[in-house]
Amino acid sequence: MAEPTFWRTEVWHPLTVHFPIALLTFATIVKLLALFLKPASAAFWQKAGSFLLYAGTLAAWISLYTGDMADGVVSRKLCDPTVLKDHEIFAEYLTYTFTVAALLDVAQRYRLLTYKPRLTQVLVVVLLLVGTGFLTYAGHLGARVVYQQAGGVYVPSSDCAEFN
Amino acid sequence: MKRFKATLLAILFMIPLLYACSEGTDVVESGTYQGTVDEVEPEKTEIYVETQDNKRLELYFNENTSLTRNGETVAFDQLEKGQQVEVEVEKVGQRLEPIAVRIME
Repeated sequence: MAEPTFWRTEVWHPLTVHFPIALLTFATIVKLLALFLKPASAAFWQKAGSFLLYAGTLAAWISLYTGDMADGVVSRKLCDPTVLKDHEIFAEYLTYTFTVAALLDVAQRYRLLTYKPRLTQVLVVVLLLVGTGFLTYAGHLGARVVYQQAGGVYVPSSDCAEFN
Repeated sequence: MKRFKATLLAILFMIPLLYACSEGTDVVESGTYQGTVDEVEPEKTEIYVETQDNKRLELYFNENTSLTRNGETVAFDQLEKGQQVEVEVEKVGQRLEPIAVRIME
């Protein structure tokens, strides 16, 4: 018995999904803190938060794609695929929410939207906080799929023969 | 720049509509159900069926699933959105295994 290849279809999702988790969480923290800083330093942190948000949003769309790839393999083996379905739904919600926030931020940064800039900044942070809520719950559901149902996990034979 | 602005705003207003597209699925007891094909995903050999009592079943075909029309076996690509089907499913844990899918029309 040979050890299966590591580069299976379902492995691309865990390889990509941790980037949006980190980037979008830090984007939220940085943008939130920037609201309370003095204008001189706030500009730097607003810009840093924007780039974290853009990179994180792109990573979220990539993760949505790799998650869809994994779904076709993993759902067939789970004892409760409804957990995976909820994970997928909340992953979509968080991606849409952060995308709206990123588009608003782009519009403001490149002066396409000039109406009440302070209000727009606050609105972006509110969206980031809502998105982080979705992100946390989607992550929890993803963990339930992996750690409760071994979703996407290769389970070795009892005698570990394939590793000899 | 004006075109970019218009595109950006169009995307901004379209995104909320995407939230409505995310639908959950239901789990039913083992048995036979009639309904309508709501979605077909050929690359995953997967279908969604909306039953007569408004349950949305997500069915992943496996090597044992039979797909027939007028009693004859047909290929998966014969399935289309909107078709009336009868599905026989077995509930394993909270997973629905499709045993048979019969196209009614």
